[in-house]
Amino acid sequence: MKYKVREIDVDDEEYPILLRKIPDPPKKLFCKGEWKDQVFENCLAVVGSRRMTLYGKKVLKHIFDTLNFSKLTIVSGFMTGVDACSHKCALEKRMATVAVMPCGIDYIHPEDQVDLYNQILTNGGLVISEYGEDSRPQLWTYPKRNRIVAGLCKAVLVVEAARGSGSLITADFARKFQRKVFCVPGSIFSDTSRGCLEIIKDYAQPICSGIEINEYFGLGSFSCDQNLFDNFSLHGVEKRIIETLKSCPATQDEISDFLNISVSELSSKITLLMLNGLVEEKEGRLYVCKN
Amino acid sequence: MFAKIKSVALNGIETIGIEAEVNVSAKGLPCFDIVGLPDKSVDESKHRVKTAIVNSGLEFPNKKITLNLAPADIHKEGSFYDLPIAVGIICVNYDISVPENSLFFGEISLDGSLRHTKGALLLALYAKEQDVKNIFIPISCVNEAAAVHGINIFGVENLRELFLHLRGEMLMSPIDVSTIKKKSSVDFEDTSIGFGEISGQHQAKRALEISAAGGHNIIMTGPPGAGKTLLARALLSVLPPLSEDESLEVTKIYTSVGKIPPNGSLISQRPFRSPHHTISYAGMIGGGTNPTPGEISLAHRGVLFMDEFNEFPRIVLESMRQPLEDGVVTISRSKGSLTFPSRFTLVASNNPCPCGYSGHPNVKCNCTSRQIDLYKKKLSGPIMDRIDLHVNVLPVETSELKNKSQSSSQYLRERIQKAREVQVRRYAEEGIFSNTEMSNIHVRRYAELSFEVESLLNLSAEKFNLSARSYFKIIKVSRTIADLEGVENIEVKHMAEALQYRCKNTES
Repeated sequence: MKYKVREIDVDDEEYPILLRKIPDPPKKLFCKGEWKDQVFENCLAVVGSRRMTLYGKKVLKHIFDTLNFSKLTIVSGFMTGVDACSHKCALEKRMATVAVMPCGIDYIHPEDQVDLYNQILTNGGLVISEYGEDSRPQLWTYPKRNRIVAGLCKAVLVVEAARGSGSLITADFARKFQRKVFCVPGSIFSDTSRGCLEIIKDYAQPICSGIEINEYFGLGSFSCDQNLFDNFSLHGVEKRIIETLKSCPATQDEISDFLNISVSELSSKITLLMLNGLVEEKEGRLYVCKN
Repeated sequence: MFAKIKSVALNGIETIGIEAEVNVSAKGLPCFDIVGLPDKSVDESKHRVKTAIVNSGLEFPNKKITLNLAPADIHKEGSFYDLPIAVGIICVNYDISVPENSLFFGEISLDGSLRHTKGALLLALYAKEQDVKNIFIPISCVNEAAAVHGINIFGVENLRELFLHLRGEMLMSPIDVSTIKKKSSVDFEDTSIGFGEISGQHQAKRALEISAAGGHNIIMTGPPGAGKTLLARALLSVLPPLSEDESLEVTKIYTSVGKIPPNGSLISQRPFRSPHHTISYAGMIGGGTNPTPGEISLAHRGVLFMDEFNEFPRIVLESMRQPLEDGVVTISRSKGSLTFPSRFTLVASNNPCPCGYSGHPNVKCNCTSRQIDLYKKKLSGPIMDRIDLHVNVLPVETSELKNKSQSSSQYLRERIQKAREVQVRRYAEEGIFSNTEMSNIHVRRYAELSFEVESLLNLSAEKFNLSARSYFKIIKVSRTIADLEGVENIEVKHMAEALQYRCKNTES
C-alpha cells in the first residue's frame, strides 16, 4: 500500500507544540496518515523491552483496560515487543496511536510488522519520522528517534526495560524535557525489570493501573459520548449531584428525592462519578472526594 | 395363580417402574408375605389391604399369598403400593384378566376408600414417558395428575368401584381434563404487603425489582428497623407467576414430600420460603436416611428469604455454595444419592455490625472496628460473591414515613412480567428461564457488550477489584436492567447502574 507523505516544518503552525519545546526539535517531520492537530493534545508514550515477557503483556492489557481511551494518544517506537504490543492495544481500544520510526519514512522497520504498519494507518493513526525517503535505520538513529517519542508526550510509561536499554534512553530524555515518567515495577529477579526498578529509584513514579495516568492528564477514567468529563468540568445532572453532596454526604435515596431523578438513572451516574474519582461510598452514604 | 400389576416407586423426584407380582398358591398354610425390600409402611400394607378388601364386600383368599415387589433390590417405602397389591389379589381371586397398559397407585383406607397420596404427578409423568395409557389413582389426586396430557386418568373413589370397573360391570370413565380448575394449590403467605405501602427506600426497591425480573440473588444490609424484612415480603407481591414448565418442576418437588393438598392442582405461585436461622443444614440442603428435599429445593423457582443471614450457622451457609451456583443439589447417603433442583432466588438481610446501628443516621454505633470486621467475616467471601445484588438499606426519616410511595406493586409486576417474558423467549432453546441462569457461554451469546460497555466494565473491575465471578454476575444484572427497559443491547447506563449493586467487600 502506498500512502502520501507529508512534510511539516518546525515553523509550521501544526508542528506539535510539545515537540517544538525540546532543545533540538527535528527541523522537519515526515508523516504518513491523516494529520489531526488534537492527536498531539494528550500524548502518552508507552515504551519497553523488545523481549517482552508474559508479564509485560499482562501489564499492557491491564493498563490499557483502565486508560481513558477516548482522549489519550499512544506514542511508541514501532519496535517489536512492548512497542508493537502497545500499538496493538491502542488499536484494539480504538485509541489514536503514533509510531515514530528510526528510519526513512518510506521504509518499514522492522519489516515483518507490515500488517501492524498498515493497520495503524488505516485506523486513523500516524507514522512519523525525521528522515525522508527510505533510508535504513542506523545505530545512532534509535536514540534520535527516542528523543522524538519523549518530546511528543506529556508523560512516558516504561513497561519493561533491561539495564541500559533504549527504553531508558527515552525515559531519560523525558526527564530532561521535564516530562512525567511512569514505570511499572517488576520482579527484582527479572532482567527486563531491572531497568524499571533503577529509574523508579531515581525519578520515575511507579504505577499500578492506568487510572493514575488519567489523573495526571486531568482526564476522567471513563468518558464516552454520553458522559463528558473534560478536565473535571461537569455538566447537567452530574454537576447537581456533586453540588448536593458537597453540602453534606447523602444516601442515593436522599439525592434521588432531592433532585427528583429516578434511582436507576442516579445509580448509573454515581458509578461514572466514582470511576472518575469524584465520589466515594461508605456504608451506603456518598461523599465527595477532595480532588 | 399369578398376576402382575404395574406401578412405580418414588425415589426423590425420580420414578422407577415396579411390578407387584402376586401369587396365590393353593398349597401351604394361609399367610400373606410381602418381599422385595419393603419398609415398615409397605409391610403394613397387607393389613390395610386385607381389611379393605373384606370391608368392600369382596372376598379375601384364605390361601398362601406371596407378593413380590420387583425389582427386588430397590428399597420400597410409602403407602402407595396398597392399590397395586389389592388389585393384584382381586384379579387373582376373581380371575379377572390384568388390565394391560395401566398403572395403579394409591393408599387404601380400611373402609376400602382411597386416601390422598403423594407423588401422583410423578406417576402421571412416568406414564406419559413410558407410553402407558391408563393410570388409576385416588380421586383426590386427579387435579394434580391432570397437568399431564395425553393419558387416561381414572380417579378411584373406593375399591369396590374399581372392582366393578375391572370386571366390566360398571365402567369408570377417565377424567375430563377441561373440567379441572387451575387454582394454585399451595399459597405462600398473603400478598397484602405491597411496594406501595413502603415509603422511601427507592434503591432497595429498585434492586428488588431487578432481582425479581432476572431471578438474581440479593442481600440487604442495614440497621434494625430499616424495613429489610418488610421489603423482602413485599417482593412476594411483584413476583411473576410460574410458567407452565416451571410450575411442573416445582410441583414435582412438593408432591414428592406430600405437600400438595387433596384436590390440589399444580402450583402456579412462586414459592416463598423463609426458614428460621436455627435451621439445621439437613433441613436447608435436604437429607435424612431417605433423602428428602430441603428448603433450598422447596424454594426452587421461587424465593428463599434468609432473614438475619449472619445468624445462620456457618455450615448451613457454606453448604449452600454449590447449589447456589449449579441450581441443583446432590445429597449422598449410605442408601444412595439423590439430586434435587434448587434454582432459587436468595433474598438475604443482615445487619452491618453486631450492635446493628453502624451507618444509622441517628443512633450511634458503639462497635469497635475489630468487632465489625469479625462480624462481616462470618459471611465468607465465596458466599458473598455468589450474591448478585448488594444493597444498603438505611431507615427512612420518620417525617417521611407518611409519604406515599410512587411505585406500586401493580406497576412493578407488569414491568417484571414483561422482562421475564423477554427472557423466556430469548432462552427458549437453551433450557433456562432467566438471566441469572446464564452460563458463561450464554453470557457471550446473549449479553454481548459493545466496546464502550466492555471498557467501562474492565475499568471497574480494576477500580473496584471485582472477582471473575462478580464480573459475570454484573453482566447478567445489566442484561436484566436492559430487559426491564425493553432494550435489546446493553448500554453504558445499564452497566453503570448494575455496578452500583456490586459486592463491596473486596474493595480496600
